Amino acid sequence: MKEHTLMRGAILVFWTLFWGLSVVDKIIPDVQHLWVGKDFFALFVKFFASLGLKDPLFPTVALAGVSGLEAVNFTMYGVALWAFWRGRNAQAEVWFFRGIFTSMGLFSLFSIADQVFGDRFQLLEHGLFWVILLCSWILFKFFSAESERVVDLGSTRRAVVLGLALTLAATWSIRDFSATTFDVGSQPAQGEEVVEGVWKFDFPFLADKLTWERTVNAFTAAHPELEVTYIYTGPSELNTKKKTHLLLYVFTEPRQDH
Amino acid sequence: MDTAPSHAPSSTRWIQEGILAYWTLFWLLNVCDKLIGGAHFMWVGRDRFAQFQKYFASVGLDAPWVADAGLVVAAALEVFALVFCAGAWLHFRKSRPVQTRSWFFVGVLLTLGTFTFFSVGDHWFGDRFELLEHTLFWFIAAVSWVVFVRLEHVALPSLPRRIPGGAVAVGAALLLATSTSIFRHNAQGFVQRTAPLAAEEVGDHLYKVSFPFLGGSTVFEETLRQFKAAHPDEAVDHIYTVPKPLRLKKADALIFYISTDDKP
Repeated sequence: MKEHTLMRGAILVFWTLFWGLSVVDKIIPDVQHLWVGKDFFALFVKFFASLGLKDPLFPTVALAGVSGLEAVNFTMYGVALWAFWRGRNAQAEVWFFRGIFTSMGLFSLFSIADQVFGDRFQLLEHGLFWVILLCSWILFKFFSAESERVVDLGSTRRAVVLGLALTLAATWSIRDFSATTFDVGSQPAQGEEVVEGVWKFDFPFLADKLTWERTVNAFTAAHPELEVTYIYTGPSELNTKKKTHLLLYVFTEPRQDH
Repeated sequence: MDTAPSHAPSSTRWIQEGILAYWTLFWLLNVCDKLIGGAHFMWVGRDRFAQFQKYFASVGLDAPWVADAGLVVAAALEVFALVFCAGAWLHFRKSRPVQTRSWFFVGVLLTLGTFTFFSVGDHWFGDRFELLEHTLFWFIAAVSWVVFVRLEHVALPSLPRRIPGGAVAVGAALLLATSTSIFRHNAQGFVQRTAPLAAEEVGDHLYKVSFPFLGGSTVFEETLRQFKAAHPDEAVDHIYTVPKPLRLKKADALIFYISTDDKP
């Protein structure tokens, strides 16, 4: 295939999926089975409440407006991708331009809102998306001007064999790691008495709230002579090593009745 | 139009080789991270299995094979991106511009595909920070390709071999100054990684402990040990960690207060 066709296809697929999934995220509210997404409604409610607009009508209308614009965006990218797929390059270019221009407008709106609501991190995020959209358009146009160069790899047999071998090795490693560590997430963490009466629990990355409950229950069952007086969650600053997920300190006193 | 890199050993060639080296090493280390798995001596990496497992569990797919399958697909994309970027670098070293361009192009396409795959997951699992990260990498890969191709048509002058003596002298002086400062700070500050801290009494049965930036769990535990030894008549009732908004920006590291009761 030709270079510019493949590169333009990659750009179109990325942005079509980006906006398609953004629309899906608006259609599916909250957290559901098989979909988490981002809770934009809660975000909008908090933003408007910070301005003193506590009536749910404001975030609802704003979110509906944004969702509508995103749906229009997605339609434009979808049409561009369809035209591209059918080989109608001029039509694809026009619709991609419309999509990019509308998306940049949308991110401009988001950026205005970020300034009003004082969210500088989101302002950076939206500014970056804005510039990436702009550059995507330039890249798209750049490839239309390039020569119709065909990708000529020559012999790729050794590369494919090497790739398959490495993929197999990675698959074996992933399966092996999964088999040896998956149970860690459901097992109670082991405690270590680091100071008299103070026990440290180093939680693995797979641990969750159930692991916490099992850990505390296992500890109290294993140490009936001790009374848990206090549990302290080590703040992230104590995790000097990246391999530590969560530190928990359990403070105990000897039971008077034991 | 192809410009044989070997005919123009200029700054153009350095930048092109830099681009190929960057993406080859980028994917090589990512593949190593998948092959090694977990944190070991001399390698921490990122626990992608735990990350994928938590993502899929959050949507109700908590069987480990689902996370395994997702990770295998990601690993396959990364492996082939590595193979083609490395192949492009090899062709570049052997001054085969046509093959270099084609192989790097496939490497870039696979890179774009990998980040598109990750972006779909970010939308699905609602991780907006990772979405930004992956979109940026997607963009950097596309721009790398454009710069690489554009440089084929540019013949920048060769880098001068002579380096001015003044620049060398200034560089050496700065190197000496920074190294001296770092080694001196190491001699004085490294002990802060393990040494216990003094608890300052700031109220009735209330003690403040201010951590140095190097302090970690060992300092915390040693501090508790020292505190308990110094206050045998008191029992720790509560530890309050000062939240970040109450700290003076970067000047304050971790601060916590120990609240105590008299032992019965």
